[in-house]
Amino acid sequence: MTVPQPTPEDLNERAAIDRSARYPVMFFFTSAAAWLLFATVMGFVSSLKLRVPGLWDACPFMGYGRLFPVHFNALVYGWAMQAGIGVMLWLMARLTRSRVQHPVALIVFGHLWNLGVIVAVGSIWFGASRSIPLLDFPAWLWPVLAVSYGCMVVWVIPMFHSRRNTLFYVSELYLIGAAVWFPWIFITANLIINKGTAPVMGAGANAWYISNLIYFWMAPVALAVAYYIIPKISGRAIYSYPLAQASFWLLAVLAGWTGFSRYMGGPFPAWMPAVSGAAAIFILLAIVATVANLMLTLKGCTKLWEYSPSLRFTMLGMLMLALYAVLSAMSSTFVFGKNLQFSHFLVGIDTLAFYGFFSMTMFGAIYFIVPRITGAEWPSGSRIRTHFWFSTYGILTMVVTMLVGGIAQGGNLAQWNQVFSASFVNSSAYVVGRAIAWLLISFSNLLFLTQLGLMFLGKGRKTEGATLLHKEPGEASSAREVVGIQ
Amino acid sequence: MNSNNFWKLLGALGLSFLLPWLFLIVIPFIGASNAEPVAYGADEEMEGGVLAYPDKSFLRHGASDYGRQIYAAEGCAYCHTQMVRPTYAGPDMWRPGWGGREAEGLARETQPMDYVMEDFALLGYQRIGQDLSNVGHRITTRELMHRHLSDPKSFDPDSGMPAYRHLYRQSPYGSGLVPTPEAEALVDYLLSLKKDQALPARVLSGR
Repeated sequence: MTVPQPTPEDLNERAAIDRSARYPVMFFFTSAAAWLLFATVMGFVSSLKLRVPGLWDACPFMGYGRLFPVHFNALVYGWAMQAGIGVMLWLMARLTRSRVQHPVALIVFGHLWNLGVIVAVGSIWFGASRSIPLLDFPAWLWPVLAVSYGCMVVWVIPMFHSRRNTLFYVSELYLIGAAVWFPWIFITANLIINKGTAPVMGAGANAWYISNLIYFWMAPVALAVAYYIIPKISGRAIYSYPLAQASFWLLAVLAGWTGFSRYMGGPFPAWMPAVSGAAAIFILLAIVATVANLMLTLKGCTKLWEYSPSLRFTMLGMLMLALYAVLSAMSSTFVFGKNLQFSHFLVGIDTLAFYGFFSMTMFGAIYFIVPRITGAEWPSGSRIRTHFWFSTYGILTMVVTMLVGGIAQGGNLAQWNQVFSASFVNSSAYVVGRAIAWLLISFSNLLFLTQLGLMFLGKGRKTEGATLLHKEPGEASSAREVVGIQ
Repeated sequence: MNSNNFWKLLGALGLSFLLPWLFLIVIPFIGASNAEPVAYGADEEMEGGVLAYPDKSFLRHGASDYGRQIYAAEGCAYCHTQMVRPTYAGPDMWRPGWGGREAEGLARETQPMDYVMEDFALLGYQRIGQDLSNVGHRITTRELMHRHLSDPKSFDPDSGMPAYRHLYRQSPYGSGLVPTPEAEALVDYLLSLKKDQALPARVLSGR
């Protein structure tokens, strides 16, 4: 199947939409990339600190217990959510053929969000953390974040409502889902935790929040990107539209039940972790069906992977999503879970979600979007290649060492008659792997930030033809042309 | 898309989330809120005239509320859990001292009511260090607890715990360390961590 060729009017309309999105979306991407560099450097420092606990231990700001949440919160709220919001706005505008309205308001609330994240990260670092993973910041801060998220993302809904297309895209479903689910999850988790009348349910709501952030916000945004970029670059329609819809609704019905298996065996009624574990296993159906659907769309034109940076990042992100779903289902069962719970595996799998599938897909989207909204091409294909390989090797190093290290650490923890510190000593070699992984990723993101900064300043390439991974610039207009499809 | 379909879609998206939100979060939260202490039955004789579980005097100790803030601010919960799992979910109960006072037959996994004195149960994220649910029974004196915080390697040279030197000041009278008020509060909190009070028959049968 092929998609119809755009007419000149279509192209003009697209250009107008891209122009309307330029300033807010570029603002979100650039500040997100700056947060990403900060977060990955903090990831390296915190891993180093875990390997060498005595390092700078007279300095209060250098404790692992502060550095790790600083890294985690900066990664999620600074980078992931901001990049995701930028992508949501642009993608919804393009899909529904409406312009991005109120760019000034978007930028103002974007600043408010950034200010909120700075205060959140700063308060954790300067000793006001509450040790609630991903909600560590002081209680008064969450309404600020909720309001600025709401005021940025609410514009997606009128765009969707006034859509003029007769075709109905799966990406739109995912985007609208992510837009309405996240505030609900965030407000619920914060209200329950800050009310403080049921302390154990507070911890449960926290675990539920992390899992829902991944399955109800990150996965939908990433899948919306994949359902857009993969058909767009390959020039083909989705392999199976009914399957795409069915797996969307399966994810929607199941994702809200996940999360409690993080604390299985904890002080909860036994049915709660059991239901969460079952939901995490059934979600495999939705995720595997979706990823298979996307990969089958690319059947016969996988050579595009070699040339198109957007497609390469997006495909890798989708494979990582499938890996995440498998690992999270596995760790939700007692068989694996009882040894993997509380081990390094947990850090590995959370990072796989935040960096592995979500960030990789966002990079794919950003490499696609930024040339269109700035009207210039990326300065260097080889830098994009370096960004890709350093990020990929980094995240694979992370996942493999944390998975194997988690099994080793969990095995040591299970040996109750062994000295406790054996589990620390035996797993410390794997923590070196984690530090190296963050070093590789930090380097790749330094390149990414400089490239994005050049684009932001209008220093992109102004010649014809997209920047491809393995082709001199200016010779071909798209990866499809190089590979010779259509 | 006509507006009828739009509202149908929003409704379906809401409904898919409403069910887990209601049944997994809101209803259990309301059920668990403001839990009242459970009185011991007439035939259950408790030492020291304790009348109910959880016993506030058992769980509060000096400036332990402030100490809990320090515990959270230093991110202790990122390496230390406060959650003893039952044996089907892990071997926590076999670790000496983790489940509580074994000699007195009080060792057990943690229960929801064990946390009612706090506003958030710091169950933890990873287990780089030992579980602290019952650390108040394992390290019993202030002096030992301070030494654990200021120089953990003096107990176990392989310990992965950093020394919390910024919670201590150099003593003006020699080579020793003087704890700051923060360190004293943290020690109060750690000494109060005891989650092994004998359970009333009503709690046990209610499970």
